[in-house]
Amino acid sequence: MSVNIPVLKEVTTANSLLADSLREGFARQDVLVLNIIASPGAGKTTLLERTIEGLGDELRLSVIEGDPFTSLDSERIVAAGISAVQVNTQGGCHLEARMIQKAVEQMEMSDVDVIVIENVGNLICPTAWDLGEDAKVVVVSLPEGDDKPLKYPMAFLIAQAVVINKIDLEPYLPAEVAILRENALNINPDLAVFEVSALTDQGIDEWLDWVREQLTRKRAASA
Amino acid sequence: MHEMPVTQALLNMALEHANGHRITGIYLEVGRLSAIVPESVEVFFDFLSRGTSAEGAELHFEILPVEMTCMDCGRQADLSEWADDQPVVIMQKAFARGCECGSRNLRVTGGVRFGLVSIDVEPESE
Repeated sequence: MSVNIPVLKEVTTANSLLADSLREGFARQDVLVLNIIASPGAGKTTLLERTIEGLGDELRLSVIEGDPFTSLDSERIVAAGISAVQVNTQGGCHLEARMIQKAVEQMEMSDVDVIVIENVGNLICPTAWDLGEDAKVVVVSLPEGDDKPLKYPMAFLIAQAVVINKIDLEPYLPAEVAILRENALNINPDLAVFEVSALTDQGIDEWLDWVREQLTRKRAASA
Repeated sequence: MHEMPVTQALLNMALEHANGHRITGIYLEVGRLSAIVPESVEVFFDFLSRGTSAEGAELHFEILPVEMTCMDCGRQADLSEWADDQPVVIMQKAFARGCECGSRNLRVTGGVRFGLVSIDVEPESE
């Protein structure tokens, strides 16, 4: 004879609770945290390099780099002139809150305005794991196809912003920026959408303004 | 493939709630948008639960449909006629049709979670 015990929790609740406590810590320090989610090769690191160039003089940025095995991306971030903490997931397809907790222990939080977390390149796994961020940002590049939002709806559903990257390639591709935008907004009408080329800097200013605005808003809310 | 870490999370949570008792059944809710494949969870569960008091537990899955709600009038959209469509297609059709009140301001309000509902345990601990 067995007994049924109700649980009624999301499977990832333990992670979410830790993420909430990280979020409280970030709020106390007035630090904005962005969780960047994208496929491999969408241009996450290049977007970060442009972000560092654009905001590095006015804001103190720090990066947490998720990568299955290598430190190639964090080397690029350090070369761009800011500190980066590497988290290797040993093949794992996403970052979890406990990994961010460890990474943050290596940071001097009072010296940071914005932490950008570059998640592992993957549009499915990272969507289930809260990292204590203020916003999730999906980077999707045009060569991946303008139907990406329809294939990976969850990523677009949980994000606050989408950066459509590599728009300079549009003349050479069957995919269209306008259709990609429309498909993303059809999954989640609340998304802020940016059309950029991280390589040529096209559209980057609007993205940088959005990051500034998120920080300003967070600080106003806590003041 | 990505079900392994969530399966480990569900196993941890089940063991915690069982408090040492043997687990014979686990009831799960899988939203159609959650990107969780029950068969995959079963494979990982068999492997991860070996040697724990949840070994051999039967997994029961309830698939939850996509749920959309109008942000203007609060009505939940009736999506039943498209129940057999892919979740994204349901969303597209719902956005295109809009709400009965005329608004197109719909949002997904259900069918995204992977939840642990309850567990069956044997009353005698080992």
